[in-house]
Amino acid sequence: MKKIKKYSRREVLRTSASITSVLTIGAGFPSILKAENNIKVGIPTILSGRVAQLGISVTNAIKMAVNNFNNAGGLDGRNIELIIRDSRAKPDEAARVCRNFINSDKVDVILNAEASGASFAVQEVIRESGTLCLHTVSETSSLTADPSIRAWNAFRFSRIGIHDAVGSAKYAAEIAKEKGLKTWMSVNPDYAYGRDSDDTFFWALKKFSPGFEIKGKGWPKIFQPDYTEVITQIARAKPDAIYTSLWGGDLVSFIDQALLYGIFKNTELFAINLADYTTMSAVRNLPKGLHSATRYVAAWPNTQDNRDYDKSYTDIYGDHPTNWSWEASVGIDYLINALKETRSTDTKKLAEAIKGKTRKSFMGVGDGNTVSIRDRDQTIVDYSIGWGTTISNEPYMTGIQGADWNTIKELENEWLTDKGWL
Amino acid sequence: MLFLNKDNFQRDVFLGLLVWLILIMFYFIFPDPGIHDIIQKVFILGLFAMSLNILIGYLGLIAFGHAAFFASGAYTLGLFLQSDFVSNLASFSIPVAMLLAVLVSGILATLIGAICIRLKDIYFSFLTLAFQMLIYSIILALVNITGGDQGLMGGFPKPPFLGINLGKPFDFYAFTIFISIITIVILRQIIESPFGYGLRMIRDNSERPAALGFSNQKHKLIAFIIAGSIAGLAGSLQALLDVGAYPEWAFWSKSAEPLFMILLGGMHSFLGPLMGALIFEILNDFVTANTRYYGLVLGLVILCFVLGLKKGLLDWILIKFNRK
Repeated sequence: MKKIKKYSRREVLRTSASITSVLTIGAGFPSILKAENNIKVGIPTILSGRVAQLGISVTNAIKMAVNNFNNAGGLDGRNIELIIRDSRAKPDEAARVCRNFINSDKVDVILNAEASGASFAVQEVIRESGTLCLHTVSETSSLTADPSIRAWNAFRFSRIGIHDAVGSAKYAAEIAKEKGLKTWMSVNPDYAYGRDSDDTFFWALKKFSPGFEIKGKGWPKIFQPDYTEVITQIARAKPDAIYTSLWGGDLVSFIDQALLYGIFKNTELFAINLADYTTMSAVRNLPKGLHSATRYVAAWPNTQDNRDYDKSYTDIYGDHPTNWSWEASVGIDYLINALKETRSTDTKKLAEAIKGKTRKSFMGVGDGNTVSIRDRDQTIVDYSIGWGTTISNEPYMTGIQGADWNTIKELENEWLTDKGWL
Repeated sequence: MLFLNKDNFQRDVFLGLLVWLILIMFYFIFPDPGIHDIIQKVFILGLFAMSLNILIGYLGLIAFGHAAFFASGAYTLGLFLQSDFVSNLASFSIPVAMLLAVLVSGILATLIGAICIRLKDIYFSFLTLAFQMLIYSIILALVNITGGDQGLMGGFPKPPFLGINLGKPFDFYAFTIFISIITIVILRQIIESPFGYGLRMIRDNSERPAALGFSNQKHKLIAFIIAGSIAGLAGSLQALLDVGAYPEWAFWSKSAEPLFMILLGGMHSFLGPLMGALIFEILNDFVTANTRYYGLVLGLVILCFVLGLKKGLLDWILIKFNRK
């Protein structure tokens, strides 16, 4: 009779570990080798951690447009296939994910939905590979404003710090004049975007309302949970107004904690990133009268197209779109239009079809509700920038005033000349 | 075949060249750039992990701040190639930049190592971590030079040298693997030399070599400098691959990566960390392509190795092979 060998627990564990590693190694390669005939769009983004909402709302918006395109027959029967990967907000991982998209997945287009740091890494990868890239999240001005960083095959569909800064400063200057606000403090996240926002806001404020005094600047770390130190600094300095570019959960924590100290009773808050549904609904008791730019609200621009966009998104996902959603929606709209126009996935042809193009958009405030991709720096202009004050319930914003794009462009040129970039 | 047994160095050079030629053939047999990308990364990360294993595996010192040298190599190369020196040196820019990257990392390792090696165990580990975070803060603070948290922006040129154009994928692939293999061969000579055995003696019983007249501190410092220099070389290759350098490369979590590789591949076999880099890179590619739960999968695989094999894969294979 054959003797049956008995396996010990240790041997079983060893064998399973070996099988796991062999399977892992074996299964890794097929993902590298697969190839299909769709129009492939690679999306590096953040899907984990505290800002996962960024990746979720971007990909929701893109899926909404792509499903419509594919259901309508695609491009001569070719569908758009989205390949979405999490970079965990790490620049080198974003670069690796991007190289994999280009080299292994053979994507035709990179739709970059990374925050600022990783966007610069993506820019270097696509500069070398020559792949078409649409930036839809990063707001740091230099990505497209600085000619040494700009790339012929990269287009920006996200807001730019300098545009927002001019719009914000104009509004803030008017409120300052009306309410006699003379002293300021700023609370900005200590990374590229926060510093950029602080510099450009006060630079622009000087143009509209010179003679103010800055009583201090707070630089909390990004994703910092406790703002007591900054709040005590504000309580001591007692400024008339505060400017902040904190965003998402950081802004929610800052406002919630500042409310406990009654900071906003005698101080006006200008929070550029407050008016986004996910942020406003997260503040425990959103007070009346905080000033914010309209990141994305269905109430601004006050058009049927915008309300329709909000409704379509909300019907599918059960939640309102975010600022990142509209940016991605405009980006994918330009791409789909370029694909239809050129009937090709050739980077040069697509780039030519996007460059300098004006299109009707639910976020457009140009002639006939349009936005444009400016020829000079391949950057979106004429998108809606509004400022208003908060109210506790939907639509969350009131008294919204639209920014004047002629003023924005004029001061942007002055700023670019100062920087030596024009 | 006598030639193979006669001299270790000749044998290693022969085997190194053979592996290099096989990988060159592999490039043409499997023309998928995604596979080439993984192989390049395996060698770069493998060098990084092998350099750390000099301290962990051969000296018994667990350094938590090794990424400081990786980042210093990357930033030195990037800053040099973005400087005006490139126009003067023209075709020699890249070799000079790489030499500088190794040199600067070596000098940094000398300064940090001279202080750290005076401590032992957890105190040594935490002091290396403290120095790494200091380097990280300096990178963030010097925005005008390093680009702060955005990293080095705007790319840099890769002027061809000796007929090698690193802008071409094949040249970069062959060059990266060649440099890595040469470094591994040199590292093996060091590890198999009396100096290398001295490190093992210090690890196993630090009092005995001291009693025999060894200078433990000198050995530790030299090992620290070699490890830092090789990490700097790995960083410079990574910067060439990504055409940039990022502050995250100096963050503590970057130092955890070679530790994972050593755990996965094995710390008691010379090529264990390189095998760890292979597993780590394939795992990274596979997991990020198929799921968002990167940390969970990586943790489970490491658990399998730690609880199942109780050692790295190559260590386990070698022990198994020797038994038979």
